[in-house]
Amino acid sequence: MLDVLNGWWDDFFWGAVIILQVFLASLVLTVFFGLAGASAKLSGQRIARAMADGYTVIFRGTPEILVILLLYYGSAVTLTGVAQLFDPDIRFIDIPPFWAGTLAIALIVGSYATETFRGAFLGVKTGSIEAARALGLSEAQVFWRVRLPEMWRLALPAFGNHLLSLVKDTALISIIGLNETMFVAKQAIGTTGQPFTMYLVVGVIYLGFSTVITLSVMALEHYGSRHLRTR
Amino acid sequence: MVDVSLVVSSLPKILSGIGLTFQLLLLSAAIGLVIAITLMLMRISGNAWLSWPAQGYIYVFRGTPILVQIFIIYYGFPQLDMIREGPLWPIFRDPFGCAVVALAINTGAYVSEILRGGVLGVDRGVLEAGQALGLSARQRFIYLTTPLATRLALPAYGNEIISLMKATALASTITLADMTGIGRTLVAQTYAPYEIFISLAVVYMILTFIIQKLLGQAERRLAHYAPEDA
Repeated sequence: MLDVLNGWWDDFFWGAVIILQVFLASLVLTVFFGLAGASAKLSGQRIARAMADGYTVIFRGTPEILVILLLYYGSAVTLTGVAQLFDPDIRFIDIPPFWAGTLAIALIVGSYATETFRGAFLGVKTGSIEAARALGLSEAQVFWRVRLPEMWRLALPAFGNHLLSLVKDTALISIIGLNETMFVAKQAIGTTGQPFTMYLVVGVIYLGFSTVITLSVMALEHYGSRHLRTR
Repeated sequence: MVDVSLVVSSLPKILSGIGLTFQLLLLSAAIGLVIAITLMLMRISGNAWLSWPAQGYIYVFRGTPILVQIFIIYYGFPQLDMIREGPLWPIFRDPFGCAVVALAINTGAYVSEILRGGVLGVDRGVLEAGQALGLSARQRFIYLTTPLATRLALPAYGNEIISLMKATALASTITLADMTGIGRTLVAQTYAPYEIFISLAVVYMILTFIIQKLLGQAERRLAHYAPEDA
């Protein structure tokens, strides 16, 4: 059964590299959206809070595939329309599926991360913050040296699940033409006629990513709780 | 800029797919719950021969995208003779059957973990009190663990039902005309992604809101099982 894969291994490898690239790019954006959303929700400003509430309601209540389709086709219509003002011969301009998809899944998972980070910031012990202030640390120092280090440990278990969502949502971006492993499998099926084998390979690749992420999060949790262990 | 008449004319078409969305949701949630309870009982059985396969199942189905699972079942299974000649072929030949099977096996893995969390969260003191009153292990499980664990698991279960509802949109990738499938066809015809996809997103948001409200009511009804936070 595996010999039909001859000639396709390198394509699957490069598809997996795309998954990794999307994952890393969307991870950075997810952390950014999550921290921005959590800060807005915890801030005293009513407008910022309302915007963050709207953000989480919209992106947690809409199917992922719809956000991806809307961002990709919506931006394409807008960009093409704008471009035609300057050059009527232009037929179609789009944001590359890589970036449209990365932004879409980061916005979705970022809305979940907003709630995770908000809860974790609230979980930071007031005693630690008061102690830091009593020691004369500035508010910026309190944030970087006390709030953030305590917060990420609390957020980690839930954030690990968000990381799994990010990597799995990458598969959805194949719908708008990202050449990751689902896309490779489709091409391979066109020549070999072996859909079960090809999609099984895709599944194994994603399972590999999930396993590495799960083990990394476990290692980070172990590292994050080192001050709690007695030896 | 936004064409309101297009929104008005396409909304009834989109909503004509709501029945299929609900069918997918309810069928896969029901089958998924049966799978989840089975897996959860296997995991807490204390028997390695039961617990390991359940853990393996959960690991595989939580570790791979639902879209890949749907494609393996819909496009992949017909490649296998044992499926084509097996008794379940009428289910796997039909995209609706494939979507329900994929969604159910997937949600089953997630829900079993939620239920297990609920069972493990039941206060030991209550179970010891039951033992002291002479209840058998089976009676303790049915009359104490089950209602208390249900109450504990309900908020997380509600989130999973909402995830499942959103996942039904993936059925549109295997030719089904659910709300998303109809929306995608309309966009292909009109090339108006904003009007149609945003209308569609609003419908899903309203459904999410309704499910949240219903589950909130269920939580309040079960609240008397958990007096400490009532």
